[in-house]
Amino acid sequence: MVSEEVLRTHLQELRRGTVVVASLVALRRPDYGYALLQRLGEHGFPVDANTLYPLLRRLEEQGLLTSEWNTEESRPRKFYRTSDEGEALLDRLLDDLAAVQASVASLIEGVDR
Amino acid sequence: MSSLTDRYVAATLRAVPAQRRTEIATELHASIEDMIDGRTDAGQDRGSAERAVLTELGNPEQLAARYTDRRLQLIGPRYYLLWWRLLRTLLTFIPAIVGVVAGVVKATVEGDAGGAIGVGVSSALQTAVQIAFWVTLCFAVLERTNTPLNLPEWSVDQLPEAPEERQVTLVDSCASIVFLVLAIAFFPWQHFQPWVSGDGSRLPMIDPALWSFWLPLLLAVLVADIGLEVAKYRARRWTWPLVAAKAVLDLAFAVPLVWLLLTDRLLNPDLVQRFEWLREGGAQDVARVAVVLTAAVTVWGLIDSAVKARRQAA
Repeated sequence: MVSEEVLRTHLQELRRGTVVVASLVALRRPDYGYALLQRLGEHGFPVDANTLYPLLRRLEEQGLLTSEWNTEESRPRKFYRTSDEGEALLDRLLDDLAAVQASVASLIEGVDR
Repeated sequence: MSSLTDRYVAATLRAVPAQRRTEIATELHASIEDMIDGRTDAGQDRGSAERAVLTELGNPEQLAARYTDRRLQLIGPRYYLLWWRLLRTLLTFIPAIVGVVAGVVKATVEGDAGGAIGVGVSSALQTAVQIAFWVTLCFAVLERTNTPLNLPEWSVDQLPEAPEERQVTLVDSCASIVFLVLAIAFFPWQHFQPWVSGDGSRLPMIDPALWSFWLPLLLAVLVADIGLEVAKYRARRWTWPLVAAKAVLDLAFAVPLVWLLLTDRLLNPDLVQRFEWLREGGAQDVARVAVVLTAAVTVWGLIDSAVKARRQAA
């Protein structure tokens, strides 16, 4: 039986890059940090808050997200949205994710046969 | 009193560059409030919700490091191997050279032979600490400034030779046998071609009375040692029977030698009488030093052979 520790580190490795993909997809509809955290969680992307908030800033600095302050509600919130550049990057990432999936599928098929 | 959230945000901002502080502060504060609201809406009381949220966010310094992409390591994987190789290379010879030079200067220029070893050891240690500190500091700075070193890429040509199949090399065995032959030759040499003292008369160093039993025994052990070297070379590596044989032979040599030294029977009594410093306790000093050296060499030899045998067995 695989130990919990080993399983966790491998799952973590596997999931690492997908948080960026998930965020770029989700932020096609503008949202603020905590709401995004909730939405990602609901769709099967459990992310730690202390990972997501700094990640959003980093993606913004890389020009992949744009941001806008919303001061209409009770507290000021920073809304992020996927930029055109982010959209272009997302296309490449999704292609690659599909390619990985296809490769794994064909490998499994090849081994089973 | 400021709230836990205020303290948490302040602690995070302390490690963030000033020009980004206000923006991160507002956003982080709002995010924390959102998270707390999320928990109180689910029925948790505000105090414990705040604690839980801040615990979830973790150490503020770590969070700040994530915001600023700061490295939480002194020397990362990019420079680690280079740092370690350079440090090892420098530490293998520079402290030793400094120590020897300092010791020699102390012994010759200052004429203090007794203090030479202490001075040598302490300057070697100080040099080692200085090298370790400065080299590490340089690499830590490189790590933080992201300086590219433009070193040549690793290539297959750098591969070291494959390790020799045999643990016992021909050179080692030959050297050991030459040493043993010289040691065997020493016994008759010191008897027949003895030390010429000041007045022209010749005296053997070792008490000639020992030729009746003890010296032949020691010679026999040395001859057996040559046999052991040959057996070891043919076995290609240390094995436990070889270690046992070496232990028996070493003890068969060291125990009689130590016993003769401690009972003042090794040195020729006529020789001791001839020289004043030997007469006046010098012989005991020689014996004590020889006993310590013999014990050290024997113990070291046993440990060394056992370690090598174990490494082979593993």
